[in-house]
Amino acid sequence: MKPAPFHYHAPTSTGEAVELLAEFGDRGRVLAGGQSLFQLMNFRVVKPENLIDINPVTELDYIRSDNGTLAIGARTRQSTLERSREAAEWATLMVEAVKNVAHPSVRNRGTVGGSVAYADPASELPAVVLAMDGELVLTRGQGQRTLAAADFFRGPYTNACSADELLTEVRLPPWPSGTGHAFLEFQRKHGSYALMGTAVLVHLDGDSIDRVAISLCGVDETPVRAHKAEELLTGNASSEEVFEEAAEAAAPELKPLPDPKGSPEYRRKLAKVYIRRALELAVRRAKGER
Amino acid sequence: MTETREERKWVGKSIQRVEDPKFLLGRGGYIDDFGLEGMLHAALVRSPHAHARIKNIDVEEARRLPGVIAVVTGTEAAELCDPMPDFGPDPASHEWRCLAVDKVRNVGEGVVAVVAESRDTAEDACDLVDVEYEPLAPVVDPEAAMEEDAELVHEMVGSNVAFERNLIFGDVDRDFAEADVVVEDRLRWRRSGGQPLETVGAVASYDPGTGMLTIHENSLSFTSYLFMLAGTLKVPSNKLDIHPHPAGGSFGSKLWAVKAAAIAGMLSKATGKPVKYLEDRVDNMTNCDHHGSDRVYYAELAATNDGTLKSLRVRVIDDYGAYMQFGVGHHGNALAQVVGPYRIGSVQYHVQAVLTNKCQQGAYRGFGSEVHNWMLERMVDLVAKELEMDPVEIRRKNFIQPDQFPYFIPDGNVYDSGDYEGVLDKALELADYDYWREEQKRLREEEGRHIGIGICTAQERSVFSATEFWFWFDEPAAPVTSTPESVTLQVDAAGNVTATLYSCAFWGNSPETMVAQLVAEEFDVQPHQVNVVYSGTSQGLPATGPGGSRTTVMLAGAVEGASQKIKEKALKIAAHLLEAAPEDLEWSDGGVAVKGSPAQRKELAEIAMSAHLFKHQLPTEIESGLAADQIYDHPYTTMPSEDRKDLGVFYPIMGHACHIPVVEVDVETGLVKFLKYAAVHDAGTLVNPRSLNGHIIGGTAQGIGTALLEEYVYDEEGQLANASYQDYLIPSAMEVPELVIGHQETPSPYTVHGIKGGGEGGRMMAPAAIASAIEDALKSLGVRVNELPATPERVLDWIEEAKGLE
Amino acid sequence: MSHRRRISVVVNGSRHESEVEARKYLAEFLREDLGLVGTHIGCEHGVCGACTVLMDGASVRSCLVLAVQANEAEILTVEGLARDGQMHPLQEAFWEKQGLQCGYCTPGMLVRAYELLREDPDPTAEEVREGMSNNLCRCTGYQYIVEAVLDGAERMRNA
Repeated sequence: MKPAPFHYHAPTSTGEAVELLAEFGDRGRVLAGGQSLFQLMNFRVVKPENLIDINPVTELDYIRSDNGTLAIGARTRQSTLERSREAAEWATLMVEAVKNVAHPSVRNRGTVGGSVAYADPASELPAVVLAMDGELVLTRGQGQRTLAAADFFRGPYTNACSADELLTEVRLPPWPSGTGHAFLEFQRKHGSYALMGTAVLVHLDGDSIDRVAISLCGVDETPVRAHKAEELLTGNASSEEVFEEAAEAAAPELKPLPDPKGSPEYRRKLAKVYIRRALELAVRRAKGER
Repeated sequence: MTETREERKWVGKSIQRVEDPKFLLGRGGYIDDFGLEGMLHAALVRSPHAHARIKNIDVEEARRLPGVIAVVTGTEAAELCDPMPDFGPDPASHEWRCLAVDKVRNVGEGVVAVVAESRDTAEDACDLVDVEYEPLAPVVDPEAAMEEDAELVHEMVGSNVAFERNLIFGDVDRDFAEADVVVEDRLRWRRSGGQPLETVGAVASYDPGTGMLTIHENSLSFTSYLFMLAGTLKVPSNKLDIHPHPAGGSFGSKLWAVKAAAIAGMLSKATGKPVKYLEDRVDNMTNCDHHGSDRVYYAELAATNDGTLKSLRVRVIDDYGAYMQFGVGHHGNALAQVVGPYRIGSVQYHVQAVLTNKCQQGAYRGFGSEVHNWMLERMVDLVAKELEMDPVEIRRKNFIQPDQFPYFIPDGNVYDSGDYEGVLDKALELADYDYWREEQKRLREEEGRHIGIGICTAQERSVFSATEFWFWFDEPAAPVTSTPESVTLQVDAAGNVTATLYSCAFWGNSPETMVAQLVAEEFDVQPHQVNVVYSGTSQGLPATGPGGSRTTVMLAGAVEGASQKIKEKALKIAAHLLEAAPEDLEWSDGGVAVKGSPAQRKELAEIAMSAHLFKHQLPTEIESGLAADQIYDHPYTTMPSEDRKDLGVFYPIMGHACHIPVVEVDVETGLVKFLKYAAVHDAGTLVNPRSLNGHIIGGTAQGIGTALLEEYVYDEEGQLANASYQDYLIPSAMEVPELVIGHQETPSPYTVHGIKGGGEGGRMMAPAAIASAIEDALKSLGVRVNELPATPERVLDWIEEAKGLE
Repeated sequence: MSHRRRISVVVNGSRHESEVEARKYLAEFLREDLGLVGTHIGCEHGVCGACTVLMDGASVRSCLVLAVQANEAEILTVEGLARDGQMHPLQEAFWEKQGLQCGYCTPGMLVRAYELLREDPDPTAEEVREGMSNNLCRCTGYQYIVEAVLDGAERMRNA
């Protein structure tokens, strides 16, 4: 299972990287952690002509808080995110989610930007970015633009970057203090791809839910927000019944893609269960329990 | 040797393994670690279709790629090679070649072989080969494959049912007629496979100067049959020399895995250069020729109201895939222990072997007997349910009793020895069974949780006879009866012992440690002082290699025989050195001593030095040197009767085990997790208990894979939907619980030291035990577990069906 | 033909200068170019972990890292564990506890255990089991691997 031949480029700055992207366009492909791309290449599912390796672009390896908005450089390793105190403080959901990504050796190479840009419908980080109403900074030779997460994920393994654009930063705006979070996913075995997962953030006002975000992975062509469920919950007191209702409301909308590990129908059933469980957990945490 | 456990010094000790240092240091010597000067690399163009005619192949662009040395199509391969050696029912009709010729019969089947300077380049060239296919209707479902109008996998067979036989032992009809209760079910065991971390590989080197074809590979079994591979490769049988390399796991899939050798050998002859062909993971998953059993059972079990099991009737449809290299030997394995540990008096066994467009079956730990265990245990649980009997008690009631051994089962095979109640009671204790029954109840009432306790009491046969492959035929073409294993022991002039083995004995089992401990026991040396080496075939004695848990028993027999010969000669030499009569001498403590006068002795080293260097000091008839061969064959096999009402003794060395897992089922998702797992095995006398434990745990882990996680998922088009480890789910450390293991040693009366084979047992028990546990957990819902893997989705479907929610 | 590049890599303390095709992945480079065949190739898609090595102190799947990406990096393979003919305490522990059967996953397991214990020299059995689930083994069922790592940890703490 050897990859097809390619030309290898190793820029050391963002500027160099985007220049190469501009030069090669569709004939170039960004190599970040390589944990997904090399699988595709070793199976010869893809045969990029040019690999633009951004691993040497160390200026994109950072995690910092910008007044509570967590800014993560695209080339930041998932294992760095896992251990980051900044991230634990400002985007706990990301830290909880990233622990579900494969295994330590994979997270030692995999990057935050790579995972987000790869836009695998089953993967965790895109779902969290969507839950947090995150923003993606896309850089090209002529400048930058910032896209909302909802506009970034276009389809399975498809993002909104044009051929000459590089995702350089993931920005996660903060939630008010007291927010409860939960990331739960169903894996057939530890570390394997999720059959589905859910990222939940909930903020309470007394007993009432005043803000909630529910994002799902593995249930559609992109990560999706369960807007119907969110509407149903907002303004209501948290309870078993309302969680059930919300989960019920979310399920029919879901259109999971085929997967030999579990049928779409099964994953819709899982989604109902996991939305409910994630809401329960997030609310408990919001209340300071457990 | 008939000494007792207390008298043994080395057999029974969990010594550190002799094999380990090289593997720990990263110097294992696996086939991919091996190379030859000027070696080329091969890769295969694989069929993307499950079933298609090959219309045209264009290799011009591939041939022109720099670095490519040769491109060989199936048609060209058919000139270079004859069909593969095939022990199936009708090899001429289901002809199997190393590359497909007119049509492809499974996704992944090799169509063209490319040889290049590197594997990279070979694969690049494969991409440039253009094959034109005419797709044919894929034959996927085995029951559909049996229908009149089904597309044929092999036209010449005339049907997709390649073999069928209905064997009846005892008066089945009467026993069913007289029964109070008959339970029936349709059970489905889906295919999984060994998937060792190392694939099959071979390095072949043809020397046109001598006509010798030398092949290094990680599979070497049935050496006496290699003349067939030589025939395939069109070299004289005495010009094929095969050298074994340690295998990075096998679990059956490297048993007689001759295709890699055939491809490499053919290409080496064609190019005049050494060629390495190593399967990559896709080659292995789609085209390894060793997928596991894939069966549909229509089963009935008859019993009386007091829970006595009377008769078993099964019709089993086995989806063999596109070829049938081992015939229905897998069902011989089932027949070896067809009644399990129970006194069932009659059996009907109707097998239908079906061809489909999938990778063919080969061997996977249990070789078909583990499937039978699962089916039988599921049926026993069904009787228990029907009669409202406790599943433990119904088993206890029906066990063959210790005083009934050797016990002949209805089909003629014999169980050598056993104490099944002893194993059961030990397992119940280790499992904390009573405690968990209480917990099960309590957690259900207090927390609504679904805990289940499963039980499997089943056989683990060991040491197969060749007859199980051909007693299916009234007029077998080759009623072979040899399954030898050889060992050569050499004592050098310094008194050090070297043992030579003649097959790819090492698959991750511990043949070197076994032999070292056995030799140490014989000669009173330290096991780690014994050097164990492997020989290639041209200088080799006959060997069958691992499989059917035979290795330790067979090596023990061979070591004992060779040791006896050496000791006899040593005695004669010592007699001369001590000026005593041989009758007055005995082997004692690492040397030979005068009986009753132990101080008058000669150490083995002194005797050996005399033997090697001082010929003139010895009587003329004693040849120089101190070495002996022993070719040991199956200790107890008898022929089947002509009418096949009695299959003879073919698998007499019968181990037994009891597995008791405790599981919890999440009824909202169908996920199963383990709370406890106890396993007690009886594999006769143990040589290295810890090593056997390792196999019990590893086998159980694979059984967990088969029961919950692993399945080769073929879709309606015959595409293998999960040809990667992302989707073919091998258990990690988080899916395998810690096992509490117990042993019982009921020696075999037929083997050296009373050893029985035990390498496969874990996987032969776990699927049945786990199915039983899941069913127990969902008892209140009335769920029946009759299919595996019991994926979370299937479990949830069963739950919903039981609740009437489907 | 892929670009070729010059790389300079320190492997088990020794520096190696080489020229490699860009598509050659690290495990192949170690095995073929440096003759360090202890790192094994199991699946070539980053799931089994047989190819695990340390790269700048972190365990990686060396079938999913290009050799050219290891330029100026420090690599530790199984061959770097033993010193002066003496096995590393982890190797001794795996031997003692029969933490291997076929040995194919073993180098990866040893390297991963090394990383695990460097992060936490005194883990619980559960932590070891989870930590070692990073790597697949088809032979042992993991129990004796867990025991071996715990035993190795103790040897290392007492050294």
